[in-house]
Amino acid sequence: MNDLFSNLARGFSTALTLPNLGLCLIGCMVGTLIGVLPGIGPIATITMLLPITFNFDPVGALIMLAGIYYGAQYGGSTTAILVNIPGEVTAIVTTLDGHQMARQGRAGVALGIAAIGSFFAGCVSTLVIAALAAPLVKLALLFGPAEYFALMVTGLAFAVVLARGSVPKAVAMILIGLLLSAVGTDLETGGERLTFGLTALTSGIDFAVLAMGVIGFAEVLNNLEAPEQRALAKAPIGRLLPGRDDLKASAAPILRGTLVGTALGILPGNGAVLGPYASYALEKKLAKDPRRFGRGAIEGVAGPESANNAGAQSSFIPLLTLGIPPNAVMALMVGAMTIHGIIPGPLVMTKNATLFWGMIASMWIGNLMLLVINLPLVGIWVKLLDVPYRLLYPAILVFSCIGIYSVNNSPSDVVLTAIFALVGYALIKLGFETAPLLLGFVLGRLMEENLRRALLIARGSFATLLQRPVAAGLLVVAVIVLLAAIIPAVRRGREEVFTE
Amino acid sequence: MSEPANASGGVVERRRAIRSSQNFVAGLTLLAVAAIALFATADLGEGRFYAVGPALLPRAVATLLALAGAGLVAGGLMKEGDMLTRWSLRGPLFVFIALVAFALSIRTVGLAVAGPTVALISGAASPETRPRELLLFALLVTALSIGLFRFILHLPIPILIIPRLLVL
Repeated sequence: MNDLFSNLARGFSTALTLPNLGLCLIGCMVGTLIGVLPGIGPIATITMLLPITFNFDPVGALIMLAGIYYGAQYGGSTTAILVNIPGEVTAIVTTLDGHQMARQGRAGVALGIAAIGSFFAGCVSTLVIAALAAPLVKLALLFGPAEYFALMVTGLAFAVVLARGSVPKAVAMILIGLLLSAVGTDLETGGERLTFGLTALTSGIDFAVLAMGVIGFAEVLNNLEAPEQRALAKAPIGRLLPGRDDLKASAAPILRGTLVGTALGILPGNGAVLGPYASYALEKKLAKDPRRFGRGAIEGVAGPESANNAGAQSSFIPLLTLGIPPNAVMALMVGAMTIHGIIPGPLVMTKNATLFWGMIASMWIGNLMLLVINLPLVGIWVKLLDVPYRLLYPAILVFSCIGIYSVNNSPSDVVLTAIFALVGYALIKLGFETAPLLLGFVLGRLMEENLRRALLIARGSFATLLQRPVAAGLLVVAVIVLLAAIIPAVRRGREEVFTE
Repeated sequence: MSEPANASGGVVERRRAIRSSQNFVAGLTLLAVAAIALFATADLGEGRFYAVGPALLPRAVATLLALAGAGLVAGGLMKEGDMLTRWSLRGPLFVFIALVAFALSIRTVGLAVAGPTVALISGAASPETRPRELLLFALLVTALSIGLFRFILHLPIPILIIPRLLVL
């Protein structure tokens, strides 16, 4: 316990330096901005800003990128409440009751309770990360390559189940991600594979290039197709601070939402997305009068918003302790860490202790900033919605081009990104969701490395995966999860969760 | 996932050979990707298990991909599902050209030209674009990014290159 606090103190002393505070603020602001703007998400933004962070020290860079991630959650709910547009996927649930509250003239209260709930959730999950980190790292150090491989397979299995849309399509996306990760020079033999003789591919596909093309630019192409939706009526915001009754009604939902969100966020394979849905369903079940939901029930804002933020933060746990990114944004964080020469994994906590604890402390500070600085700025953020997409997307393209070019100072990277943009657009048109592809891509290299190492140790016997109890257990979990996804009853339940 | 009314209603619907063109085409695409991957790794050694060769993982993944593709093709033939929607050409085409134009001009003439070029060409991708407004905006964005990337962040991006005259 003492350790925990001395570690947190160390973290705060890192996070509270002036440059790091500044970067945290910038991250939160940029995050809110893109969260408010529909059509540009945290994945594209972090990719865009990745090269910018080259010149920062790694702690500052990661603090800023993390700020963008949870800032975006905050911005996404702001527009969900005020104009019924969920800026991010996780804010979809908030539109149900949040926007109804706004229509009843209680927009400010909805925003206020969302921010307070998020802040509380942020505090709790920061503590959870801090408390779980040490034991998880100890566990991770016992893991050999076989266990790591099995763990990643399990993570991918979860990603399949938690992805929206059809199971075979999600599987296919992960497989394509794995395949793309194999492009380039083979690490052990030095032979080229799948490069088709192109020199641009010999060193493999750059993660930033793939992410920007398949997610960022493809999103732009998809948006260009849909006629622009403009929110017409903007409700007056009203007072921001919830009254005593509101606070009383929200206290329990915030607590439950935080627990649900934190727990789901730790799951490998983007469990964080499920948090708000699960919390909403839970509150509706527990309510004395479920009919109030959908008509401006404050519990329907407080719970999901807390779950949302808790999940966003606890999804850092698998990344920071095991080095395994649970979703596409965390995969980008892996990219950011590698660029700065930090290898994500259990060793981060001991080798880069300042970075580890500094980042955790900064999350708490960032949440405070969002509450104190950002909430009063709501009016300004909403004005940004008036910037038309016809001006927004050329600007996005210019900044992204510069971003991609400066990753390696290579024009051919920009061309490669353009090609991936077309691929991404085609995938969207064919009904594929592209986020699992990115996850497969990042885990692909790690998986292959660990599998080959495991087989080398076991002198080529695949049985090693089943003889080691932890590895076998994890693989069994993966199989169960995948089978469950195919069973009709579970499948229907899964669809319900996402359509509510 | 919408499940339209089954044929059990008694009304004989117009029988389509392909029930979900989206899944059908998606499956064919996966099969094609798998085939390309298998073909491209044909000359690599799979190695033995105690020294796994570079081709083992890609080939295994490609095989699974082919299975998923076959499944989707079969599903597209047998199960009702989404149909393909119209693909637009204008958006992808102009955005693609804009990005390639950036790649060609960033090293040769510099960001001062490449920036507005991207913005203006990509502007043609949307029917809502207003040329004069976009031109002004493009110049503004370029000026901003030169300030940010070159002068604040000191990234080595050429600003303006005029051969034998000027390199900024």
